[in-house]
Formats: sequence, C-alpha cells, structure tokens
Amino acid sequence: MAKYFPLGQVMGFVFSLILTGLALLVHFTDMSMKTGMIVLLVTAFLQAGLQFAIFMHAGETKDKWSIYSNIVYGFAMVIITILGTLLILLWDM
Amino acid sequence: MAKVDHSVPLEYSTEENDLKIFGFWVFLGAEIMLFGTLFAAYFTLVDRTGSGPTGAEMFEITPVLAETFILLTSSFTIGLAVHAMRLGSKKATLSFMGVTLALGLAFLGYEIFEFVHYVHIGAGITVSAFTSSLLTTLGTHGLHVTVGFFWGLFIMIQIAKRGINSATANKAFIFSLYWHFLDVVWIFIFSFIYLKGMM
Repeated sequence: MAKYFPLGQVMGFVFSLILTGLALLVHFTDMSMKTGMIVLLVTAFLQAGLQFAIFMHAGETKDKWSIYSNIVYGFAMVIITILGTLLILLWDM
Repeated sequence: MAKVDHSVPLEYSTEENDLKIFGFWVFLGAEIMLFGTLFAAYFTLVDRTGSGPTGAEMFEITPVLAETFILLTSSFTIGLAVHAMRLGSKKATLSFMGVTLALGLAFLGYEIFEFVHYVHIGAGITVSAFTSSLLTTLGTHGLHVTVGFFWGLFIMIQIAKRGINSATANKAFIFSLYWHFLDVVWIFIFSFIYLKGMM
C-alpha cells in the first residue's frame, strides 16, 4: 500500500495544506491590507510552484526549460495585463 | 509503428506522446492568460458594487475552506493516480481517479449551492459590475471543473476497457496536468477573491 503514496507527493500535499493555513492567517488575524497582500502573494505563488514542480512533473523531461519558460511567460503576461489594466482604469494614471 | 522509448514513463514513450504532453503545456500557458484577463476585469470592478452586496457581505469562510480542501485533496489524488499508473497498477490508477472525480463532483456541488445562495441573497450575475465579474470568473473555473469531470470519466472508461498502454497513459497524464492546473487557478481565486475580499 505504501508504494502508492510516494513521500515526495505526500510531503507536497502536507506543504500545500500548510501554505493554505498560512494564507488563512490573513482572515483570522488582524493584518493590514499591505501585509495581507504580501502574505497572499507569497503563499499563492509558492502553492502554484509546488503544483507545477511536484504534482505536474514539469521538470522531469528534456523539455524542462521549454515548459518552465512557457509557464513563466504566461505568468509574466498576466502580471503585465493585470497591472496595466489597474494602472489605466483604477489608479488614475 | 512509432518508435518506443522504454527509458521514460509510458505516457512519454513515443514522439507523438511526448509532443502531445508538450502541446498541452502550451495550452496551459494560454489558460493562464485566460484567467489572467478575468482577474484583471475582477480587480478593476471589485468596488463597483452599485446597489448590490460587497464581497465582504457575500463571502463565508466555511464553504470556501471546504471547496479549497476538496480541490487540494483531489489534486493530490490525481497525482497518486499518475504514480500508480507508472507502477502499472490499473486498479490503483482507477481507484485514485475515481476518488479525484468524486471530489470534483463534491466541489461542484458546493459551488452550485454557493451560486444559488448568491442569487438568493440578491447577488445574481446582473446585479452589479462586481457580481458580474465575480460570477464570470468563478463560473469559468467551475465550467473547467465540469468539463474535467466528464473528460476524466471517459479516460477512466478507456483505461478500464483497454488497460494501461502508451495511448491511455498519455491521455491520463495530460488529464492530470489539467486537473492540477484547475487547482492552481483555484489557489488564486481563494487568495485574491475570497481571502482578500474578506480582509
């Protein structure tokens, strides 16, 4: 039975629960908006990285760097899109 | 007959398989951007609540936590399904996939209940710019989970009928990438829609 529960993935799951718990501190403690956002950004991106690296085996083949650069490119575009949108529509540029 | 490479897991064993997996990663890159634009709209419109409720008034931590825990666990079990598949156990693969899809169904149940509840408290999709962008973002994720549920179900049927071979292993692995990705999207929804909204 144990062979069906590889240590790496079990640890990944435990770590993802811990990160969720950390993110919840934002709700259950009295944090400023700024601190809260930093906590959420760190926990969310760590969670995402964990999924890609441990559960999705992003780095196991020769395509490793193409896969990672594709994902990083996607996230970079998203960050530019979101910040650009907020800059124009919300932050009164 | 395609050249089979036995030094890598079955799902990568032919060049076609290898390319399908890489192609799916490229698709996921596009999916990241799709959800990114939804988030851009949501962050722009989050305070435009009009006469409708705000996020802080609508969101409740308990169902959100349940949804998060269910989806995190299902991401873990689909990972175990791929691991079992690599060990060559058809029974364990199907069991873990079954657990994953059952969790997916539980998640959808919660989400449908949540949407009905929102409409009930006067926060339907047409109420304000905020509810429109909120329900579009949540709904797009929910639709992905729904599609994933049926996709996974059909792959389970194929594995049950044909066993684990280079074709079914490839499909199951690609499905696992999709399912993990839905969890990644949910993490951002959980953090930047729900937790930020309740802060």
